[in-house]
Amino acid sequence: MPAVKLDAIRKSFGKVAVLHGITLDVEPGEFVSLLGASGCGKTTLLRIVAGLESTTSGSVHIDGHDVTGLPPEDRDIAMMFQSYALLPHLSVSENVRFPLRMRRIGSREEQDERVKKVLETVQLGHLAERRPRQLSGGQQQRVALARAIVSNPKVLLLDEPLSNLDARLREDMQVELIEIHKRLGLTTIFVTHDQEEALSLSDRIVLLNNGRIEQEGAPDAIYDRPATEFASNFLGSANILPALIEGLGGTPVAVLADGQRLPLATDEPARGDVRLALRQEDIHLAIAGDGPDAEVRTRVYLGARSRYVVSLAGQTVRVLAPNDTVFEPGQRVTLTIAPERIRVLAR
Amino acid sequence: MSDRTENLLLILPGLLLLALAFFLPIFQMLALSVAGPDGPTLAHFARFLGDPYYLGILWRTVRLSLIITAICAIIGFPLAYIMARVGPRLRLWLIVIVILPLMTSVVVRTFGWMVLLSRSGLVPELLRDLGLVRRNFSLMQTETAIIIGMVQVLLPFMALSILGVITRIDPRLEEAARTMGCSFLQTLRTVILPLALPGIVAGSLLAFTLSASSFVTPSLLGGSRIEVLAASIYSSVTQTLDWPFAAAQAVILFVGVILVLIPYMKVTGRSHG
Ligand SMILES: Nc1ncnc2c1ncn2[C@@H]1O[C@H](COP(=O)(O)OP(=O)(O)O)[C@@H](O)[C@H]1O
Ligand SMILES: [Mg+2]
Repeated sequence: MPAVKLDAIRKSFGKVAVLHGITLDVEPGEFVSLLGASGCGKTTLLRIVAGLESTTSGSVHIDGHDVTGLPPEDRDIAMMFQSYALLPHLSVSENVRFPLRMRRIGSREEQDERVKKVLETVQLGHLAERRPRQLSGGQQQRVALARAIVSNPKVLLLDEPLSNLDARLREDMQVELIEIHKRLGLTTIFVTHDQEEALSLSDRIVLLNNGRIEQEGAPDAIYDRPATEFASNFLGSANILPALIEGLGGTPVAVLADGQRLPLATDEPARGDVRLALRQEDIHLAIAGDGPDAEVRTRVYLGARSRYVVSLAGQTVRVLAPNDTVFEPGQRVTLTIAPERIRVLAR
Repeated sequence: MSDRTENLLLILPGLLLLALAFFLPIFQMLALSVAGPDGPTLAHFARFLGDPYYLGILWRTVRLSLIITAICAIIGFPLAYIMARVGPRLRLWLIVIVILPLMTSVVVRTFGWMVLLSRSGLVPELLRDLGLVRRNFSLMQTETAIIIGMVQVLLPFMALSILGVITRIDPRLEEAARTMGCSFLQTLRTVILPLALPGIVAGSLLAFTLSASSFVTPSLLGGSRIEVLAASIYSSVTQTLDWPFAAAQAVILFVGVILVLIPYMKVTGRSHG
């Protein structure tokens, strides 16, 4: 039985349709990311699971029970808000105790024990008596996380919990989230617009585009085999090139707009007019070699690597390359890609 | 000219006005309250505090003010919450409705209540028709009438004080509380009420001091038998022409109000500094 079962969820605000029929099962203990650009309806979907927003049609089941019409307090969930939403008039430990108190979980002593334990988990034991406004952003965020996991909810809902932190803290928190999830095994729905975050944290990624599920799957599957142009663009910002596939019987070859050819994997079934998705880091540049010609237009130094903008077959292609060989703007280069790294998208 | 002297010159008119219009009368009142035929005396205070009749007036004033303040807070808190959470258009209408009574004169408003509450008025008649009260029931000349009239006058102060605080409470705190197991009413009690407390305290002080010193509404609705302190001061001045005794009563009222205000100013001063 799935921990969360969403069935054909539609949501409109007035005349504006935001979600167009979302169907999704989340298995117990699974860490699912809702990934998508800002405004695509991630928060709305999460709030519908929480009960903070009603559905226009469709149903929500949590742990086998239909909760579609139930208010948030009658659902066994916990939610962590982007703004943390800590109660300013309560101390850190009172904030963390709050869900236990309101849901009447355990005696006072048991609550004390759990609050203490969870605060140690997020390394805030020493700040238990502070008020939220006396804490830094990173500390507040840990309090919010502690408060969300303390009641051991059936479903943990996280709405871009890391987006307000600076890069360093964010990496630390990602590691912490993974460890906490491994330890507690909470069913988690995690909203983010950051593909790296989704790739590194999730068991499964649900890619949303304008209120529809574009693609879902394990991080490596969705990264290596994006099904649509949107998916390949969003995950790894691939280059999209129109091409014609030839090679009936023999090895398929993609013919670019200017007639240059790229070899494809032998088992590539598609023929005819297609688009190719070429990931920036999969493209290799060389001064001479076996592959289509291109011209370097710009080089952006990124430390360990450089990003090149090259023109290939009249199109702009971005390439991420290590700095062991450096190419200058204006230089002619050849471009190679392992055939199995080329994604072919139907037109 | 240095900045300092320039500043001093600029605030001088204001200081003068304050001195003339505020401190001078208070000083005069203090002086008058201890004036006797043979120099300063506390006889007027002793007379007030030793007479059960006047102590009764003082007690009634305090008691009615507390009841009025409590009723204002009980109505004002949910009203302010609703005003804070409805859409902007409806909020504007509610604010207009709440402050509309402030735009008419106290006397006019009070005469309105007299019409509504008198023996043949709408309210007692309705209660009679419903069989809830006896035949010659009237609300006029009762403490209930004073309370009803004063609550209407003071509710805007209370509601607007609380509204100012509640609009600054992040609605997401309420949503967070709901996801942590609070029903709507529990959210009001555990989140909104404690966070709105500064507004409730400020509104209550305003309501209490205004109601303790109010004169027109209690006199007109309560009549001469149900006297409050302000009315007693008035009759000392106009009927017995005992100005020092009137001043002593005014000082007692003044000191009482100050005693209520000082702890509040201490508390708010601390939270700002
Ligand atoms: N309460 C609301 N009223 C009207 N429109 C809303 C409301 N909440 C969200 N929207 C709209 O729904 C769309 C999706 O919003 P949201 O779910 O917050 O997106 P995301 O979290 O993916 O950035 C946006 O276009 C937003 O303007
Ligand atoms: Mg969002």
